[in-house]
Parts: sequence; C-alpha cells; structure tokens
Amino acid sequence: MATFRSTHPLIKILNNALVDLPAPTNISSWWNFGSLLGLCLTTQILTGLFLAMHYTPHVDLAFSSVIHIMRDVNYGWLLRTIHANGASFFFICLYLHVGRGMFYGSYLYMMTWFSGIALLLLTMGAAFMGYVLPWGQMSFWGATVITNLLSAIPYMGDTVVQWVWGGFAVDNATLNRFFSFHFIIPFIIMAVVMIHLLFLHQTGSNNPLGLKSDTDKIPFHPYFTIKDLVGFLIMLSLMCLLTLLNPNLLGDPENFNPANPLVTPVHIQPEWYFLFAYAILRSIPNKLGGVIALLMSILILAILPIWHKSSLRGLSFYPLNKFMFWMMVGTVFILTWIGAKPVEDPYVFIGQLFTVIYFSYFILAPVSLKMWDFLIK
Amino acid sequence: MGKHFGELAKLRGIIQFRLSPHEQRAFAGAITQGIPNIFRRIWSELFIVGVPLGLCYMVYDQTEKEHTRLLRKNPADFEHEK
Repeated sequence: MATFRSTHPLIKILNNALVDLPAPTNISSWWNFGSLLGLCLTTQILTGLFLAMHYTPHVDLAFSSVIHIMRDVNYGWLLRTIHANGASFFFICLYLHVGRGMFYGSYLYMMTWFSGIALLLLTMGAAFMGYVLPWGQMSFWGATVITNLLSAIPYMGDTVVQWVWGGFAVDNATLNRFFSFHFIIPFIIMAVVMIHLLFLHQTGSNNPLGLKSDTDKIPFHPYFTIKDLVGFLIMLSLMCLLTLLNPNLLGDPENFNPANPLVTPVHIQPEWYFLFAYAILRSIPNKLGGVIALLMSILILAILPIWHKSSLRGLSFYPLNKFMFWMMVGTVFILTWIGAKPVEDPYVFIGQLFTVIYFSYFILAPVSLKMWDFLIK
Repeated sequence: MGKHFGELAKLRGIIQFRLSPHEQRAFAGAITQGIPNIFRRIWSELFIVGVPLGLCYMVYDQTEKEHTRLLRKNPADFEHEK
C-alpha cells in the first residue's frame, strides 16, 4: 500500500531508515550503540554551537572566556560540562560499537566498516582539537607533544609541523585554526555518517548469530524505535550522573592552570580515550616507529575483513577466539592504564609487552578461526 | 535502494500456528525461568570473559606492587655501613 511516508521524495528517506527498515528480530543491546552515537553527535553539536557563541579562540582570551561561560553565561556551566563529558560518552559508545563489530563479524560489510574507521579517525581528530581550546596547561602541552610527532615524517617533517602550527610553536595561529577545524569536523562527521548508514542499509544489520536474517525481519518502528529510546534514557541518566555529580572525574587538574609555554607539566597525558594509543606510541623507542605504531593501532582494524577466513560469521561459536577477544579487551584496559603512568620500570616493559599482544590479536585471531574450523569439521 | 519488505526472500509453503493473545499469559515464566536463565547465561560465559580480565587485573596488581617496591631502598644494600 503506497502511503505518504513511502512516496514523498524527502520523507521516504527518513521512512526507509527509521520506520519501514527491515531489521533482524534477534539484535541485542550491543546494536544500540549506533543510535547512541547519533545521540552523542547531536548533543555535542548542540552544546558546542551554544558554547561557540561565547568562546573566543585567542591565546589571551580563551581561558577566561571559558571561565566566563562557566560563571556568567546562563546555564553555561551545564553546556560546558555536558560538552566535556559528552566527549567521553562519545568514545565509550564508539569503542563498544567497534567491539561489537569485531566480535560479531559485522566488519564483513566492508564499505560500512571502512566508513566507520573514517568516522573514528575524524572523531579522534575533533576531540583532540577540542581539548586544546580551553587553553589550559594540558591543552597546550598535549597539542605540543602530538603536533611535534609530525616532525617524524622524513624530509618534510619540520616543514609540515610549522605549516600545521602556523608558526614556530603552538601559538595563537594554532589555536584559531584548531577552533575552525573543531567547529567544521562534526558536520563532516554527519556527512560520513549518512554514507555509513547508506552502505549499512544496502545489506541490513548483522545479528548475534551471524546468519542471514532475511527470512526473519521486523520493521524498525515500533520495535527498535522504542528499544533505542530505552537506550537513550539509560545513557542520558549515566551522563546526568557524571555531569551533575562528578563533572571533573575524567579531567586533568592541570588544565585548571592557564597555558604556560615556559612551564612543562610533570606528567603530560591525553584524555582517557587516547591513553591506549599513547601507550603504544611510547612503547616504540624510535620516533617515526612510534608514530607509525600509533596510526596502525587504529588502521589495523581495516585488516579484519581482508583476513577473515572462517566459515561462520562472528565469534559466537568459536570459544577460543572469544577468549582471545576478551584478552584483547583486557589488553586495551592495560594499555589505557599504562598510558597514564610515567615512563619508569616496570611500566615500560608492560607497555611494550601489551603493545605486542595488541597487534598479535589481528594475526592470531584469523589463524585460530581457521584452525577451529578444521578441528570441528 | 536496499532490501525492502516484500523483496527480502522467497519462502514457499509456510504454515504458521499461533495462539490468540487471549489464550496466553504475556509474561509466562518471566521470573520462574527468566531469573535462573540469567545465572545460566553468566555461568556459560564466565570463564571466557572472567579469566582473561582476571589475568589482566593480576598483571595490573603485580605491576603496581613491583613499581612500589622499586621506589623503596633495599636494606641489604646498606649492610656494609653497619
């Protein structure tokens, strides 16, 4: 039956994504994180837009403009706290969403997977630049450490770094352009999200069994509109708890000090969601090697669909690989903890050991899958 | 674009047997079977999830203890000063 929602040129786009979309009956709560990421993106864009009305991207004014937002702007304290903690929730949802993809073999939807990796990199870039904007000590020194990594590029390294800085150090030009990029990247993310969903809707969602589900589908509305709403309520409750009861739990006290290029903090470290990558970077004693390892820690996700050789999709029926997956989860936790530790024994050795374990997963997992298929045949 | 209802799969000879909603209880067994099912599901995955995370916790715990130990002086190194 042709209805308005299925024939109107604009409305039918929303209809085919949110109402009449065929969805598997058996998708679990791990499938909620996609919509939760959409909620996080919307929250960050709305709070960020209002923050941008009161923030000034100048080295002499940035820090005090944030204080002005916190103290004088109506509900500015709430906008800022939601925006800062919203970034943490964004990354919690991202890592759980990627973990779901790795565990259930969703990466076999290759275009969806590759556009997802692009989204992860874009979000990391936006978050990195956003953290610089308050112009606290950790903002400045974190930017200095990470932008200096570009000097590892052979021949052109120093030129590239000064081009990114807009000068000979992280200074006003850098802050101004970081604000511009931080403002525009979420809209690029929105466009790539639409591409991500375009590819996903070509095939329909995966499911926990990894089997084809075309014979057992239900419409997205009302089943998954209501389920996603429940997920929204849970995440918003957790966000309220953190934002209103302990807003500085995930922050660094050093960022309450204004940026001072003449005073280096004792422990320079990024926000928690970058610590595992920071640990991998520091594990390699060579600068260029560390930078390559840092990039590869994310880009190696692209190898999963290429090296996938098992008969069944997902790890549901592969106990050994499930064990290895949870070792990988523990490895990321360990690397996150190590990233916050000083470069001393025995943290150095543990960081290096678990960097090797991290990358080994991507080699051992396909081998183990193939071996298990052979054993149970 | 993408698969819509009506284009998903061809199935033939489907016979469905259903009870009317008036002939059944909606949440039959939700507590008497549902709660034991929670424990069954946790138990079946406990070792697969718990052992790796437990091992990682032990690595964390032992590493922190070792770091604390390395910060302390070793009295045996100063025996010659007695």
